[in-house]
Amino acid sequence: MTDMTKDRVEQLIDYIMKKCLWQFHSRNWDRERQNKGILGMTTALLCDEPVDIEDPKERCYWVDAVVLADAYRTRYPWINTLSKDEIRELMAALHARLDHLTITGSLNAELTDKNY
Amino acid sequence: MPYHEFECSTCIPERKQHAVVKAPGEDLTSCLPLGYLNTIPGSISERGCAYCGAKHVIGTPMKDVIHISHGPIGCTYDTWQTKRYISDNGNFQLRYTFATDVREKHIVFGAEKLLKQNIIEAFKAHPDIKRMTIYQTCATALIGDDIDAIAGEVMEEMPDVDIFVCNSPGFAGPSQSGGHHKINIAWVNNKVGTVEPEITSDYVINYVGEYNIQGDQEVMLDFFKRMGIQVLSTFTGNGKYDDLRAMHRAHLNVLECARSAEYICNELRVRYGIPRLDIDGFGFEPLSASLRKIGLFFGIEDRAQAIIDEETRKWKPALDWYKERLKGKKVCLWPGGSKLWHWANVIEEEMGVRVVSVYTKFGHQGDMEKGIARCSEGALAIDDPNELEGLEALERLKPDVIFTGKRPGEVAKKVGVPYLNAHAYHNGPYKGYEGWVRFARDIYNAIYSPIHQLASLDISKDPIPTSHGFMTPEMISDAGLDEAVRASDVLRPYTGKADIITPLREKTDYPEFPRRQSAAE
Repeated sequence: MTDMTKDRVEQLIDYIMKKCLWQFHSRNWDRERQNKGILGMTTALLCDEPVDIEDPKERCYWVDAVVLADAYRTRYPWINTLSKDEIRELMAALHARLDHLTITGSLNAELTDKNY
Repeated sequence: MPYHEFECSTCIPERKQHAVVKAPGEDLTSCLPLGYLNTIPGSISERGCAYCGAKHVIGTPMKDVIHISHGPIGCTYDTWQTKRYISDNGNFQLRYTFATDVREKHIVFGAEKLLKQNIIEAFKAHPDIKRMTIYQTCATALIGDDIDAIAGEVMEEMPDVDIFVCNSPGFAGPSQSGGHHKINIAWVNNKVGTVEPEITSDYVINYVGEYNIQGDQEVMLDFFKRMGIQVLSTFTGNGKYDDLRAMHRAHLNVLECARSAEYICNELRVRYGIPRLDIDGFGFEPLSASLRKIGLFFGIEDRAQAIIDEETRKWKPALDWYKERLKGKKVCLWPGGSKLWHWANVIEEEMGVRVVSVYTKFGHQGDMEKGIARCSEGALAIDDPNELEGLEALERLKPDVIFTGKRPGEVAKKVGVPYLNAHAYHNGPYKGYEGWVRFARDIYNAIYSPIHQLASLDISKDPIPTSHGFMTPEMISDAGLDEAVRASDVLRPYTGKADIITPLREKTDYPEFPRRQSAAE
């Protein structure tokens, strides 16, 4: 990963960490689902691709994704200059970083509890 | 790991892992204290018990219910009227508290008869109230009283009443948080799905983890009504018992305090397929984003945007008046659980203050993850602090104000640090746009109150100035301001009324939105 990509990922991570709550559900499996669902939708929105939001669960991911994508476009204008492939690559790196911070590298001992 | 060891706690070495400093370069994979563990012997904790967490935080805000503690009278007395979770039915849940008054002879011979007698007596004393919650306490749990059986007997004998039993004695967890968990699960297991509600809108939510502190719920309810959303139930502030039995029919669970109520949202998601949307009701930007998300979910974003535009236009100049005067003020954000993350970032961004420390008495590591993620570098994060650690932190950090509960708050005042009540508020509500300005106003008044000019003097030795009067808050706060800010005709301090909730209760002119034909049929 280039330094510029790293820097951009950190900017996007900082926004999620300071403004969002969806990445901090209480269990590993739940965080995996949340991160994948919402960042997947956000990537599609940033790439102007259609999303399926018929299912209420998907629709709930989508509302968080819409607000996140809008914030990214407004706060980080450089994202509007990227191609779709570059956005996908950036968002994949963001997803990996977020999973590391909130799941695989997390020090939260409750994440592996099987029950809610 | 950037642990912080308090000098006063070197004799309790386990405490070191309960405090960290968010130093430059640290993130959540290297900077997180332990949490939600049994308090270490020798550390005088400020926590509540699991009974308190179930009854005082979650059960009792239900407004049309007799809340009765099965145990010694002290248990219920200590959970009575210490929070301002008001209701629109005359505050029945605040005015009355009930206990079975268990004594030594009952511990020896059993207290089930006493319980039944108390239940019937309470219903007879309040014939208009047909719902009851009963809370287990340590004493009656240890003697093995079967509260469920007694409640069942009474419901057979009095078919018009319904009783909910919460088995969360004080020892059932490391802190009040254990009680939050138990009552969440007990409610969804025993009561959800036992009432079928009338659906009056195409857009139906449960508003969860909201306790109507000084009217917070009613402020948010106003926004939801303006959007044409039916709030089926509120878990539990200003909430009705039977509405909460019908939670299974909502389309969306809107969750505020995930610490106390995520459990029921998670269960409703698993059992009934209702999605969970976490929101922030505090602060202009987070609240606007939250309303927008709810609007988006139902396809009525325009209704949310209209509220956002109107409220922001109305209240932003007042918020900015305080922001100009609060810039750089150091804050210790020491609430119970969720407010450490609800407020950590937004008070810096929207009020200009700097959070130098966050702590939680009963939060889990998940709450600290959110809080540490949201606060700035340099902040000291403490889990389950004891009073000496709190004092040492105040001495080291020298905050301008502390947001906390009344027990540590009163301690802070004694060492000259102004305190705002983060649990019950000073002059709330603090949710909503106007509420957020009221919070800013309260912070301003706390920091700049003329009382500090006198309170900080030691009358036994300091000279008392008699040659001049006290400086007013504005004389102090405006001394270093730019003239353009001071003379601004846009910015203005808050001038709202003390009571902003009664007008909301009297409000009837909500828009009527036609329902979709298929749904209405």
